[in-house]
Amino acid sequence: MNVFLRPNLARCLWVTPFTSLIFMSLTLFIRHWVGMTPIYDSQQMLTVGYISGVLGFLIGIGAFDTWFPWMIGAPTRPEDHSQHGAYSWRDYFRFNTDHKVIGLQYVTTTFIAFFVGGMFAEIFRAELAHPGQDFITTQQYNGFMSQHGTLMIFTFLVPVFAGLGNFVIPLMLGAPDMAFPRLNALSFWLLPLALLIFLSSFIFESFEAGWTGYPPFSTTGPMGETLFEIGIQIAGASSIATAVNFLVTIITMRAPGMTMFRMPLLVWANLATSALVVAATPFIAGAQFMTMFDRVFGTQFFVPSLGGDVLAYQHVFWFYSHPAVYIMVLPGFGIISEVISVMARKPIFGYRAIAFSSAGIAVLGFSVWAHHMFASGMEDWLRVPMMISTMLIAIPTGIKIFSWLGTIWDGVLRMNTAMLFATGFIFTFVIGGVTGIWLASVPFDYHVHDTYFVVAHFHYVLFGGSVMTVFAGVYFWYPKVFGRMVDERLGRLHFWSTFIFSNLTFFPMHWLGLEGMPRRVADYDPAYEGWNTFISISAFCLGAGMLFFVYNMIHSARHGAIAGSNPWGALTLEWQVSSPPPIFNFDVPPRVVGGPYRYGEPGAQHAIFPEETVPVHEPAHV
Amino acid sequence: MAAHAEPAAHAEHEHHGPATYTYQPNPFKLDPTTLGLVIFLTSEIALFGAFFLYYGHNRLVRHYEWPQPGFEIPANGTAFNTAILVASSFTCELVLIMLVRNLRRAAIAWMIVTILFGSAFLGLQAREYMEIGFTPQTNAMGSSFFSLTGLHGAHVFLGINLLVYCLIRLWRGHFAKDRMTGLIITSIYWHFVDVVWIVLYTLVYLLPSHT
Repeated sequence: MNVFLRPNLARCLWVTPFTSLIFMSLTLFIRHWVGMTPIYDSQQMLTVGYISGVLGFLIGIGAFDTWFPWMIGAPTRPEDHSQHGAYSWRDYFRFNTDHKVIGLQYVTTTFIAFFVGGMFAEIFRAELAHPGQDFITTQQYNGFMSQHGTLMIFTFLVPVFAGLGNFVIPLMLGAPDMAFPRLNALSFWLLPLALLIFLSSFIFESFEAGWTGYPPFSTTGPMGETLFEIGIQIAGASSIATAVNFLVTIITMRAPGMTMFRMPLLVWANLATSALVVAATPFIAGAQFMTMFDRVFGTQFFVPSLGGDVLAYQHVFWFYSHPAVYIMVLPGFGIISEVISVMARKPIFGYRAIAFSSAGIAVLGFSVWAHHMFASGMEDWLRVPMMISTMLIAIPTGIKIFSWLGTIWDGVLRMNTAMLFATGFIFTFVIGGVTGIWLASVPFDYHVHDTYFVVAHFHYVLFGGSVMTVFAGVYFWYPKVFGRMVDERLGRLHFWSTFIFSNLTFFPMHWLGLEGMPRRVADYDPAYEGWNTFISISAFCLGAGMLFFVYNMIHSARHGAIAGSNPWGALTLEWQVSSPPPIFNFDVPPRVVGGPYRYGEPGAQHAIFPEETVPVHEPAHV
Repeated sequence: MAAHAEPAAHAEHEHHGPATYTYQPNPFKLDPTTLGLVIFLTSEIALFGAFFLYYGHNRLVRHYEWPQPGFEIPANGTAFNTAILVASSFTCELVLIMLVRNLRRAAIAWMIVTILFGSAFLGLQAREYMEIGFTPQTNAMGSSFFSLTGLHGAHVFLGINLLVYCLIRLWRGHFAKDRMTGLIITSIYWHFVDVVWIVLYTLVYLLPSHT
């Protein structure tokens, strides 16, 4: 078959614009038929074009090749596993149902978003190095600032954990793949689309309302704001689909003997996170639908003159976006539990306490959203309950921190790069957590609301917290993914530059905030100049340090030392198969016989592989 | 890129496909597809929740009048509509009952009735839109009303689509007593749409701020 007809990226090249054009003409026709004048409305055309373009891309890549015939009852191909597994580099650029391929696709895409978003931060940090307008306009500043937040949150921190989890979790459970492999591939391919949609808004003047997209700025802002709203829907759909997949996989596809309390803690963390994603993400979808309808259809959700209430947006938005903070850090907690236990050669301290505290954070996470709105003029009676529930979250988080410290205590520590990042994470995350408690108290929040203190706080929890765990995870599982070791020397350089310069970048922001420097401004009072220049220089060094990481990742994939199946001497199941793992993970279903962290027990095993191997041809389930 | 760097590691994998598994039994006693749908439906509840939150915020915190002064909400006319949708939920269940008793023709008949009921609901809803007197552009409560009912209407439309796919496959004999997961999850989805409507009808149509 011609390359433009087979399901691949080449087919996307024509199917995507074709679908867009069909739906755009249909819109013109409907507007003409209903009698609207003018027939052409640029907002509507853009919205229809982009959404149908996403559909077209998915058709082109082959996401619906199996589902369409199935829907209309046509004879379907028997599953021949032709979409499963990577046999050449080309397999990473097509609709692949193998969770290991999808995991790598996910992590690569999200890291591209990370570096692009980081670059935007460097650009506006350069502008902020000195007071006054230097080389970007205020609109461009708003654009870069909004893109930085949006890319980092929606296309890096939320999906990168889905990517790491995708690679690791089926292996940890002893399963051959995720529960719904095609849905898994579909949810991956939505992600680069969301990234492209966000970035393409630069063509139409980028969105400027920040990653929060508060109306009325977002409902009256430039054209790019519509693309922000569409991009969020796409990224959100991707994360809901992945979360459903994780939940079903974790609940139904555990290897025999893998009881709930024999699951590794990363699996527990992903279980809690996925439950959060499923229950919370639709709220941001709802909030973005409303602002999009205001822009595209002229509804009055947030138009104050006709009864629209912008506070309603903030309520709906934060009802997702506060749980989203835990979506962005809970899987990281899981990674830290894995890394610390393996590298300290000790059973994890308080397994059930860590598992249940994840669940506790997930539940409490829904009761704290209005702490972002203390100064917004919302209902007074909401403040104190939200303050108390926010402070309560420190309890399950503290349980985790002390459990990790308890695990490290008296352990035989192996301070390699993954462990350095794990311990560095504990240090920086505790700083972010402590300022979180300060911000939870209403009077203090009134003082520092919308200042650099808040910026410092969430960069400590998101960069010093989540990103450090991502790096810990990447360095920890790299030998499993590529079968080769990373260069430890470069890894340490990367860790120390990241650790030192992130603290130098984000810590002075506390002082600026306490002195009253507002966030999200392109220019500031010359009184704040000294620390701002310092922060900008540290931020450039922080960015430059990432080059060690990029070089290390690319170089070690080909030239690193051969890792062998289990370089860290870990007990969990993903380390019991070859590196990289076989295409179908396990030749024989493993049998789980004990807990995953039995380090220090002589002869302890987490799982065994029964002797009888029966070659089979039918899939595990249909 | 290097996941295929060690061809030797895969050489012994002569068979194509994963090993056969007997998984650890799951606590819900559900097959993966049904469980996936149920989890997805909680996400759907949250999506409706976002629009109900907006509606509730306007009603309870801002104390807006509903229906807005000068307009009426046709609670009685829509009661008929509601009855049709509730009835369709029962006829949908009859499809499954008939199929379990191996009465395929009866199952097809009830499926057609279900689809007709669903379409009738959508048609009546469209007529209500035209006659209600305000539009989504009128004011915030108008936007709220149309987004809630419209979101529900979109779900009914999707549900009808699923029912049509099931009808085609039922017609072709793809479903049998022991092979009807597709039908079961479609019916669960249809019941969900029905329940959401009952909640919506109660909150939006039956609880005006003045009588």
